[in-house]
Amino acid sequence: MSTLTEAPVESAVRELTYAEAIREALAIAMEADERVFLFGEDVGVYGGAFGVSGDLVHRFGTERVIDTPISELGIAGAAVGAAITGMKPVLEIQFSDFVTLAMEQIVNQAAKIRFMFGGKAKVPMVVRLPGGSGTGAAAQHSQSLEAWFAHVPGLKVIQPSSPHDAKGMLLSAIDDPNPVLIFEHKLLYKTKGHVPEGDYRVPIGKAAVRREGRDLTIVGSSIMAVRAAAAAEKLAEEGIDAEVIDLRSLRPIDFDTIAASVRKTHRLMVVYEGVKTMGIGAEISAMIAESDVFDFLDAPIVRLGGAEVPLPYNPVLEKAAVPQEDDILTAARRLARGDA
Amino acid sequence: MPVEVILPKVDMDMETGSIEAWKVAEGDAVKQGDILFEIGTNKAVMEVEAPASGIIRNLVPASGEPIAVGTPVAWIFQEGEEAGEAAEPTAGAPGTSLAVGRVAPQEGPLPSSVTTPTPSPSPQGGGESGAPMNGRHAAPTADGIRATPLARRTARLNGIAIDAVTGSGPRGRITEKDVLAHLAQAESAAPAPVAARAPAETPAEGELVPFGPVRRIIASRLAESMRVAPHFYMTAQMDMSALQALLKRVGPRIEKAVGVKPSLTVLLARVVGGILPRHPMLNASVEGDAARLHAAVNIGIAMERDGDLVVPVLRGAEGKTLAELTRDFGRLREAVASRSIQPADMRGGTFTLSNLGMFGVDSFTAIINQPESAILAIGRTVEMPVGRNGEIVLRPMATFSLSSDHRIVDGVAAARFMADLREAIECPEVLI
Repeated sequence: MSTLTEAPVESAVRELTYAEAIREALAIAMEADERVFLFGEDVGVYGGAFGVSGDLVHRFGTERVIDTPISELGIAGAAVGAAITGMKPVLEIQFSDFVTLAMEQIVNQAAKIRFMFGGKAKVPMVVRLPGGSGTGAAAQHSQSLEAWFAHVPGLKVIQPSSPHDAKGMLLSAIDDPNPVLIFEHKLLYKTKGHVPEGDYRVPIGKAAVRREGRDLTIVGSSIMAVRAAAAAEKLAEEGIDAEVIDLRSLRPIDFDTIAASVRKTHRLMVVYEGVKTMGIGAEISAMIAESDVFDFLDAPIVRLGGAEVPLPYNPVLEKAAVPQEDDILTAARRLARGDA
Repeated sequence: MPVEVILPKVDMDMETGSIEAWKVAEGDAVKQGDILFEIGTNKAVMEVEAPASGIIRNLVPASGEPIAVGTPVAWIFQEGEEAGEAAEPTAGAPGTSLAVGRVAPQEGPLPSSVTTPTPSPSPQGGGESGAPMNGRHAAPTADGIRATPLARRTARLNGIAIDAVTGSGPRGRITEKDVLAHLAQAESAAPAPVAARAPAETPAEGELVPFGPVRRIIASRLAESMRVAPHFYMTAQMDMSALQALLKRVGPRIEKAVGVKPSLTVLLARVVGGILPRHPMLNASVEGDAARLHAAVNIGIAMERDGDLVVPVLRGAEGKTLAELTRDFGRLREAVASRSIQPADMRGGTFTLSNLGMFGVDSFTAIINQPESAILAIGRTVEMPVGRNGEIVLRPMATFSLSSDHRIVDGVAAARFMADLREAIECPEVLI
């Protein structure tokens, strides 16, 4: 024990888990603005299926942390209505897979109302969606459906990869006058990272370069950005200098950051957990191929996406169906060496 | 499906060739790899091998007349195939459209690159183009070449035909690396002797001299530079008395030490090397939306060789003495003269000097050597009347013209460089 512990030393790096960071963002927003309220299945007394809302019901009461019936369409519709009438609902869909039940309200209503009413109505709602595989939760509780929503004008879709970004982006989402969907990877909830105290924002629509490199560009978001960054460190030991871009936001997408990177590295790999076909990788590949960056490609673009199967329950198969760090390593080696 | 035998491109700047002699006759059975005919280029005669085994049909007689590269000169039929098929062979079948034989050099200098086109069909098998291909258009067009967009772009910017490059990637894919390797080879290869050309009738509009590989690179690079870089120019007259005196004083000592007499150009390289570190934007390159500031000052010296422009690079001019630069430049000049200059000696320049004073040129403006951001053009040193302290005196004056790329160099930055240049030229002691 140091004798200096009595001194009021502010810890240089305060670490929180991803789930704690989200809870902190919710608390900050709720304290700052009484229009903000939480809405969802088991978000109250139980504290959320993944413990994200935790003790918020005790701090803000059952009027602002509301347990709902098991009816995603009903919850989403109530949230849209609340948002139009001036509230700022933050909705939790217990597993993002269940959002299929709420598609009508999110896609046909929330995304379009502002446009169809010429801006006279707006829908400042946030939908939190725990998603992704790796928890042995099988095909109906493990999907990555973010690309479905990134296809819809009028929605914003974000996928923070770190506790720092989760807090800052959720606060930006709550500020936003438009519907924002935040896809939170279930495996990230327990990951820890530095989270500044107090109120701060991480902008929606801006990617982050997690590692600068010259040999190839790896683009990913959420847990894939984390795996790509880990893979890049191993690649560096082998002499392959990978640049890692954490997309953070799918709609709007930060094409400029990707383009600048590919212009430099001449090689692009997109890694995403959603099913490979018709997914994020297709969109980013096409954006590059359509742009003047096409002329800077020195190898075919590589997509590393989820397998074309409903996610298996068997944990070995489940892992095999989704890009893992080793898959990124193998594909990156091939791409950098020119074997791809 | 009959296999087409085309007149292959066996040298990068080759557009036509001639059939000097057939080694097989109509109806002969040949095996893949057998010598079919001798091809003549303006450099050498080489043998062309059979791309497939079968029976030779429809061969074009040997005439020695020029034939366009890619023209079919024979067909190889498999057993049982009808001769009539040759008239309208279809594309898309494996191995037909680009069946160029391997070329075995027979005499003369090795071609700088022997084309080994990859078979065209896609791995999905067949049917990538259902259109029947007229035999006359069966040339190995760019469409059949597997190359990355970056490789094509780099080739385009350097005036290289992509089909002259040998690909090292999967399935023969050409990547940027291959184009750069090809370029390096072309830079070091001697230009082709043009003397052996047939004494063709001189047309009324004058002789047409095709670009050699070096000229092609010069043409494409300088045109590209004028296109992408907004040039602006700044001119100043400077008093050369001090530099002349300095050369007179230290010249003999340096010559004694390193065996080469220091020239005014090298002395100016030393001066520029001394001041450029204070002007980072003039020692920089545009990279996308950014300027790359170079740590080292590598000064290219524009020189002429056999009517072509070559720019060997004096490396590390920011930290070398005049004696060291004189020695380096002596080596480069000798290498240029003896054609042994390596591509590496012409790469990596960060600034260029072009001195035409020895031809009596008063002043001129130069085109920036991309991707550098500036070039300094030097005119002759001549005694001129100038005012000094209220009197007209004669001074050895030279005119310096700086061309700068306005994308990253602004007028004031260029003017500051010129001011520092004047100070260092008129009072070289400031560099000590």
